Amino acid sequence: MATGPLRFRTPHIEELPTAQSRQSAGFAWVPVSGAQDDPAKNWGTTNRKRQRQSTGGQTDQQKEAVSARQQREVERRIKDLNSDNSKETVEIPKKPGQQPSGGAFKIGKTSGTKKIMSSGKSLQHHLEDEQAEIDRTGRREGEVDAPAPNAQRASKTPLHRRKPREDSSASNSPAPAVSSMPPPAIPREVVQLDDSDGDEESQLPGLPSAAEMEALLNAPPLTYAQARASSPPPGLPPPRRFCETCGYWGRARCLKCGAMTCSVVCKDEHDQSKCLKMYA
Amino acid sequence: MTPQKSRTELDLSSQTLVLDNGAYHIKAGFSSDHPTYKECRTFPNCIARTRDKEILVGSELAQCNDYGDIDFRRPVEKGYIVDWEGERAIWSRELEKGEIKCNPKETNLILTEAPNGPQALQTHSDQMIFEEFEFASAYRCIAPTLNAYNDTRSLFGDPQAPSLEALPAEVLLLVDTGYSHTTVTPLFHGRPAHNAIRRLNIAGKQISNLLSELISLRHFNVRDEPYIVDEIKEDACFVSTDFTHDIEACWSGNSNRKDLDRSVVVDYVLPDYTNTYRGFVRPHDSSRAAELRRLGLSTLDQPKEDFFPLGNERFGPPELLFNPSDVGLSCEGVPGMIMQSLSTLPEALRPGLLANIMVVGGCSLLPGFVERLDMEVRKRVNSDFVVRVRRAEDPVRSTWLGGARLASNRSLLRQHVVTKQQYEENGAPWTARQFAGKRGR
Repeated sequence: MATGPLRFRTPHIEELPTAQSRQSAGFAWVPVSGAQDDPAKNWGTTNRKRQRQSTGGQTDQQKEAVSARQQREVERRIKDLNSDNSKETVEIPKKPGQQPSGGAFKIGKTSGTKKIMSSGKSLQHHLEDEQAEIDRTGRREGEVDAPAPNAQRASKTPLHRRKPREDSSASNSPAPAVSSMPPPAIPREVVQLDDSDGDEESQLPGLPSAAEMEALLNAPPLTYAQARASSPPPGLPPPRRFCETCGYWGRARCLKCGAMTCSVVCKDEHDQSKCLKMYA
Repeated sequence: MTPQKSRTELDLSSQTLVLDNGAYHIKAGFSSDHPTYKECRTFPNCIARTRDKEILVGSELAQCNDYGDIDFRRPVEKGYIVDWEGERAIWSRELEKGEIKCNPKETNLILTEAPNGPQALQTHSDQMIFEEFEFASAYRCIAPTLNAYNDTRSLFGDPQAPSLEALPAEVLLLVDTGYSHTTVTPLFHGRPAHNAIRRLNIAGKQISNLLSELISLRHFNVRDEPYIVDEIKEDACFVSTDFTHDIEACWSGNSNRKDLDRSVVVDYVLPDYTNTYRGFVRPHDSSRAAELRRLGLSTLDQPKEDFFPLGNERFGPPELLFNPSDVGLSCEGVPGMIMQSLSTLPEALRPGLLANIMVVGGCSLLPGFVERLDMEVRKRVNSDFVVRVRRAEDPVRSTWLGGARLASNRSLLRQHVVTKQQYEENGAPWTARQFAGKRGR
């Protein structure tokens, strides 16, 4: 029955009517996972929190929406904290009555400095530039002992001819290909490169040898992102929340906007002035 | 290009300018044989525009009387000099007619910067120093290293060193909380262990901003007055050692009926720029008359003054240093950061560092900071470790003093510095490597 461009015969499929086929009901019985709350407990409840729990939980989409909004709030808050409170750029005063070289003075004496002073880059730009540079070449500007990009390629030399490669990857800057790895991995490697029997064996840790100390101190500096304090270990109590109005412990969460308040008085204050503004 | 040989032939000029370039203040001064804090000049690192559209650069800000509605431009962002146009204006003003008048061509410079900066900004700094200002020689280093040259032995109560040649300190864990960020740096003989340096972007600026937000929401709109909020922070804020107790003391109860605890809650009176030029703190007055006066509804013939109570605003913002999660930042506070930094170092070095924790930077002046930090670090280590946390005598200028002491020792200085001639011969990347400590390697 094959027709057209097919080069082989396709099997012919046909649904045979059997005696057992009948009209399907349009629904199917599905086993429900998890204990269902007694619906009697939740009748007429306007408590959205309990509703959310009982009716199989929120869909992932809803959860995402709530957490995205919270995340945006947190980011906005942090951005506010970091703001410099500057409304417009303050112009640098031009000094009147300067010598003819005054013009050059403002712009810069050499071409390098001219470029530096007229560049309007902010710190964020510089950080991004550096990250792009690292991703591209695997090293930071000014470092000589960085791996060439092809150090990452799978080696084609047969096993018996391969030279030990551990040195090259360990002594280089933490940046290449391990930017997602936490920094602690690096110094341990560095320490093990040198006297590895110094620390590990003795019970009382002896002071590292001079060679180890040199290796520690000569390690290249971390990038900005690597040096930032990382998140606390899991298992700690959740972050503390405070009342928006008065600053006491937050005890109740506003259903509409998610802000915490401590008491009825504060909650009223919140509803009047802060809640609607965020909601609208 | 053998730095070793040419170093002994270096003839440095006699004057050294030590410039601790902070995000809030510049601490600058010339070093001498026995430097003291008196020689350090502190002036704001900003260009400001006042209410009357007058522009004040650097130390000119002290001439201003009316700090209301003032707008700032700060060239240093998060500890790095980003806006060189502005920074050049501030520096050249100070070098020409300000506090540190000198001729750069005959002066050595020691410049500090924050750790872990983008490489590009570091080379920009070198270029500006040598090509624009034309200093005779310079040493650019990260700020924590200079503190190792301070008299740390007397700070920690150790026996005095036999002579000045014992500089720099052998082991030091430096916590620097300035305006824009906080860093933790372990130092060995004045050299930092780079993999263990950690930074937290919470410090004076964030505390001030949070304080300003809280006051503006609850009492009085001070969002446009960053200078006044800084003054409030310096006057009234502290770090609580028992957060739960203090927050209870500030709660006015479920229906505003409970009396507030006077030891924690205070009133802050704002300046009115006709009689008073600076705000001050006053014990809280919770009487009804005071309440009316605050709202401006008083009928009594009293001088009008703006004041508001400060309760948990006093210790809530500084708490951020220890619990950044209060505001949503998912990173650890200063004690956690110290532990993270220590965990990257070999175990043997940790006791030495824990016993020599030095705190510098403006934020450490907050009352209770050192005690709280001591308490928190002790909680996280075994009880058989010795933990000593000390704040430098003058935390704001301590880094400067370290630099001045380094400069007073000419042989030490000669080892670190790069002259203009060497810069021009060898170029910027070589200079950057020299400053990073990779000498001849």
